[in-house]
Amino acid sequence: MFQKMIDDSMKRSPWIFHINAGSCNGCDIELVSVLTPRYDAERFGFRLTGSPRQADIVVVSGPITLQSRDRMIRTLAQVPEPFCVVSLGSCPRSGNVFKGSYAIDGPLEKWTHVDVSVGGCTPKPEAIIAALAKASAILEEKRKAMRQADKADKEKRS
Amino acid sequence: MSFDILWFAFHILIFPGLLFIVVMGVLLMGINNKMVARMQNRVGPPILQPWYDFLKCCGKETIIPRRAQKFVFIGAPILGFAVLITAALFIPFGGSSVLSSTGDIVVILYLLTFCSVMSIVGAAASGSPYAGVGLSREMVAMIAYELPFVLVLLAVGKLAGSDSAQGVTFSLATITEWQTAHLPVICHISMIPAAIAMLFVIPCEIGMHPFDIAEAETELCEGTLTEYSGAPLGVYKLTHCVKVYVMTALFTALFMGGITTGMVVVDVLIKILVCLVVTFLSMTLPHAVCARFKVEQVFKFYWTFVSALALISLVLVWIGL
Ligand code: SF4
Repeated sequence: MFQKMIDDSMKRSPWIFHINAGSCNGCDIELVSVLTPRYDAERFGFRLTGSPRQADIVVVSGPITLQSRDRMIRTLAQVPEPFCVVSLGSCPRSGNVFKGSYAIDGPLEKWTHVDVSVGGCTPKPEAIIAALAKASAILEEKRKAMRQADKADKEKRS
Repeated sequence: MSFDILWFAFHILIFPGLLFIVVMGVLLMGINNKMVARMQNRVGPPILQPWYDFLKCCGKETIIPRRAQKFVFIGAPILGFAVLITAALFIPFGGSSVLSSTGDIVVILYLLTFCSVMSIVGAAASGSPYAGVGLSREMVAMIAYELPFVLVLLAVGKLAGSDSAQGVTFSLATITEWQTAHLPVICHISMIPAAIAMLFVIPCEIGMHPFDIAEAETELCEGTLTEYSGAPLGVYKLTHCVKVYVMTALFTALFMGGITTGMVVVDVLIKILVCLVVTFLSMTLPHAVCARFKVEQVFKFYWTFVSALALISLVLVWIGL
């Protein structure tokens, strides 16, 4: 029962960590506006955290520049399982206006799993909230899958 | 005999022990968050949000950094939580407290400091430079609030001890008795500055928003908590909630204790109401109104304004007003 409660709370308190991989700052401002009183994502339990160790949802914006690529990969490696990656805006999807530049190394799918992707330059705050809500639902599924895998593992060993 | 032990265990584990303390802490914290949100014209997170946060943290993977001191890193949050629960057992809530001695106040002061020191120790063991900056700030905050805190406790002790032979009392039971015999401490005009000082000490002791210089998430990547993940982080968050209860309950015991109607249930309800009011005044208002202070601003504020308020009360009590 305790495990069920944990599964349930997984989607109720997703903490967001934001990685800026060379974004033009447009998407970053929209992400912050989601947390302001007007859209108030905190009512679903979303919180911006400052450390990747405490993140449940990692939001990546920007077209993955060469400079930020290694740092992004290193940061993603520090996030404890289970976690979701959300790609924010058109940049991490396709490169957007920066496509073809020598300085970028996208898309994001090349480097990590992407659970939810929001399009738009910049996406609307409503769309970002919808994406985050979807990501938190995926988070619960992941946790359940993790638990079942653990169980199967234990049974196999015993 | 065995019934006595059972009764004692019930006191420690259920009421007014572990379960009650945790539930109160989570509720007070949740209601505080909700009130802040309403003051900022938001809907706000659900009241049980701190509890969800704790559960979620329990369900995450716990990463121990390679450079961390494993034993201390895991032990510090657990020890801090245990110490805080022990401190809470000394505070009378409704009826009498579970544990009591002649030096309650000194013990509580030590245990609260120990709890803060545990967060410093945990941060130091994590081996992260952000945590290093965070812990130095935490120390500054501790030095800042400790002075007015001790002054307030001395003032209350002197007032309540005026009947006894020693002159100053450090026992919460004596303070409660004194308040039943006379009026609650806050009704004495000389004690109002001390009460205000205590209201300022509470958020800094807990590390609530305008005074959370050690956990500044925007500048320091969560400061002392940078490297924590999973269950230890959850325990830290729960400790945070419990601290809200401990500090508000301490305020009620010091300044508004001794109001009894004879029925324990009614007493407890009154105490909970007072705790809510204290939470609103000391935590919600500054949180909703102020942005985070700088380190030196916090230090200056506590050592001048708040200490002066506490000192005024102490002097007034000492000359017998
Ligand atoms: S999608 Fe548009 S707004 Fe967002 S980072 Fe790229 S260029 Fe900027």
